[in-house]
Amino acid sequence: MSTTTERRTDIGPPHYEQFLHPLIKKNYGQWKYHEVLRPGVLSHTAESGDVIYTVRAASPRLISTNFGRKLTALAAKYADGYLRFTSRNNVEFLLANKDNIDPLIKELEEFTLVGGTGRSITNVVHTQGWVHCHSSATDASGLVKVVMDELSDYFTSMKLPHKVRLAVACCLNMCGAVHASDIAILGVHRTPPRIDHSTLPNLCEIPTTVASCPNNAIRPTSIEGRSTVKVDEDKCMYCGNCYTVCPAMPLSDPLNDGVSIWVGGKISNARTEPMFTKLAIPYIPNNPPRWPEVTDAVKNIVEVYAKNAKPFERVGEWIGRIGWPKFFDLTGIEFTKYHLDDFRHAGTTYKRSLQNRY
Amino acid sequence: MSDDLKTPLLDELEKGAWPSFVKDLKSMADKKPMVKDLLGQLEKSYADKRGYWKHGGLVGVMGYGGGVIGRYSALPDEFPGVSHFHTMRVNQPSGWFYTSDALNELFDIWDEHGSGLLNVHGSTGDLVFLGTVTDELEPTFRALTAKNWDLGGSGSDLRTPSCCVGPARCENACYDTLALSYDLTHNYQDELHRPMFNYKYKIKMSGCPNDCTAAIARSDMGIIGIWKDDIQVDQAAFAEYIDSEMDIQGSVVDKCPTGCISVEGKEIKIDNSNCVKCMHCINTLPKALRVGKERGAAITLGAKAPIVEGALFGSVMIPFMDMSNFEDMHDLIDRIWEFWDEHGKNRERIGECIERIGLATFLEGIGLDPVPQMVKQPRDNPYIFYEEYFEEEEEA
Amino acid sequence: MAGISIEQIADDMYQLVAESAGQKKLKSTDLTKAMTSKYGDQVSKQDCKAAIKLLIDSGRCVYGYFGGSSIELPHKEASAN
Repeated sequence: MSTTTERRTDIGPPHYEQFLHPLIKKNYGQWKYHEVLRPGVLSHTAESGDVIYTVRAASPRLISTNFGRKLTALAAKYADGYLRFTSRNNVEFLLANKDNIDPLIKELEEFTLVGGTGRSITNVVHTQGWVHCHSSATDASGLVKVVMDELSDYFTSMKLPHKVRLAVACCLNMCGAVHASDIAILGVHRTPPRIDHSTLPNLCEIPTTVASCPNNAIRPTSIEGRSTVKVDEDKCMYCGNCYTVCPAMPLSDPLNDGVSIWVGGKISNARTEPMFTKLAIPYIPNNPPRWPEVTDAVKNIVEVYAKNAKPFERVGEWIGRIGWPKFFDLTGIEFTKYHLDDFRHAGTTYKRSLQNRY
Repeated sequence: MSDDLKTPLLDELEKGAWPSFVKDLKSMADKKPMVKDLLGQLEKSYADKRGYWKHGGLVGVMGYGGGVIGRYSALPDEFPGVSHFHTMRVNQPSGWFYTSDALNELFDIWDEHGSGLLNVHGSTGDLVFLGTVTDELEPTFRALTAKNWDLGGSGSDLRTPSCCVGPARCENACYDTLALSYDLTHNYQDELHRPMFNYKYKIKMSGCPNDCTAAIARSDMGIIGIWKDDIQVDQAAFAEYIDSEMDIQGSVVDKCPTGCISVEGKEIKIDNSNCVKCMHCINTLPKALRVGKERGAAITLGAKAPIVEGALFGSVMIPFMDMSNFEDMHDLIDRIWEFWDEHGKNRERIGECIERIGLATFLEGIGLDPVPQMVKQPRDNPYIFYEEYFEEEEEA
Repeated sequence: MAGISIEQIADDMYQLVAESAGQKKLKSTDLTKAMTSKYGDQVSKQDCKAAIKLLIDSGRCVYGYFGGSSIELPHKEASAN
């Protein structure tokens, strides 16, 4: 390889300090309190009396540089060129001048929404889906779009009992935080990979393919004298790792792939300890482009929660108070055999008391 | 946009209040054949209800085993623009802070060398450049490093550490998450770029138990700020809350998980010895209550998503650690990796390794003493493997 | 006694990678464990790390990924036609 300039490696990211607004640098670690002035607008007051304003807006996470340049132009115009992103894909503009809030919001609202603070449904943590992932059982950006179109009013307001965190992951690998969100949409494959025995011996290394399975469900075999593999279908959990190394084992099954809905997880330690999400709806078929059955299901859960939960109760805390039978009753969601755990420690999810509501 | 690209299904996603990624992607389609073909393939996915991507495991930049994810279209003849569509993970700055100038420079690089599409940000924390061809990987890397950016992790390596907004703009920060994230990322460049572990190792840093980076759910190692002493109270500010419309009893007192809050007149009393640092009262009364002054971090280990053995939350390994310098943290991380390297199996995350080997064995291995804060409860089964017992003759 | 040179370790590792090509993907830890079982105290983990870096930086080996990272002989992109 020809090198004209010295090749630099292992330099790490640039130091964050150069990206901090002067007001932030000055009051670093000296913040006293914050207020939510209105949906999408925060103020942070420092010990020094300085105040920095934050305007929070939605990004679709998957953006083009065109979208990105709109953000940087607005930051340059209103926020002295300083902006950041949140752990939930929102963009935040950091303003020293309070008078810039309204004009900034006006320009933002031409192409996105301002909100996502306090008792709202903020932006969705999600994955790549059909836009980029080889093992996805559904799309992620599209699901987020249609669900948030339906719930956008909850993004721009703060009228829920408490915050509701949404997540979308397009398969069981869960690159999104589906296992600890208030409401989560999880793409599911329901059938094992279909092996193309005619191409597999040429396309794939057998030992590598066997080793790729996290559950040891793949075994070498031979069909008509040609080396190939077989899948122990009882062990397969549809993760797609074999397809990663062996294109002759596609997992997608348009007829059977779809999504499941999970509820009641949380991450913060506020009031109650962090909780995993639990299964609410085992399967809804993919129905692109707008997945109406999914948006209806999510909206239903949100609305039942909004109507029944007490202030400060997260979805999981609300269900904890009323009990699961009542959750299924109020939401009208059917309880099925798929709700019964049959993995490790399944017994810990069985009811082992008589404390039920009748 | 181009006349020959018909996307009737995706067009439905241009409607609605939420910002439309389809509208945005279409704005790039004329400039970038790659984006046009991405939309074409995505439209086909929407029609056929399946993805059309293949994973490829062997692309990267010279010397690194992490930071680049190979991706190929399964339909290269139909959509040649995305026959290669690799991802590059650009290591984000601590706390995801940027200037317009810095971001514009990154956009320029990506417009020149890739699709011009990106994720703000990936699940681990990186700024994800989405879609380029193999031949552009090295030029992109050079352009990035020339502007002082580097790639993050992928594969069986230290994944890009990430942290919350921390002391930069949050009054709850119990330690400097941005400084630690920067420190660890730079201290472990080798582990970040050259996969040498059994599997991935994610580190997330949150400044308080609100845990905005989801460290307890999404990182093998969570470093979560905590304090030991009393919640700081501004009684005058509390009196203002009392005088407001706010239902202090219902919103704060009744919600305290340990019932350690009471109100006498316009004063709040907190039994700090029973406070479990849940943050609810502080979150609800930000002007009156603040975290204590004796601050540090709790260390959790083992969180992960379900594959293989089921999802795990992190569990407490160190209930409180001083964070005034980061030397002890390096030492702790080195000991954990040493143990995992020795005892872990291929594709076994640290949490699964600890569950298989046993927490007691793990603690002994890394030189930590067991403390009751590590468990929800002591064991409820009697199958104890006693290691010390008396021999008959020794008893005299 | 003098340890084994980094170059020697790298050569031995390369041999292992070449022998198992197409059969088993070797990870960084596999190579390190093989060297410590062959040479005992004469090699350290640091030596092994340095040897792997030498193999990769020289282009004799590349990193691969198949659900876990491995060290492999360079070959043509599998999926790109």
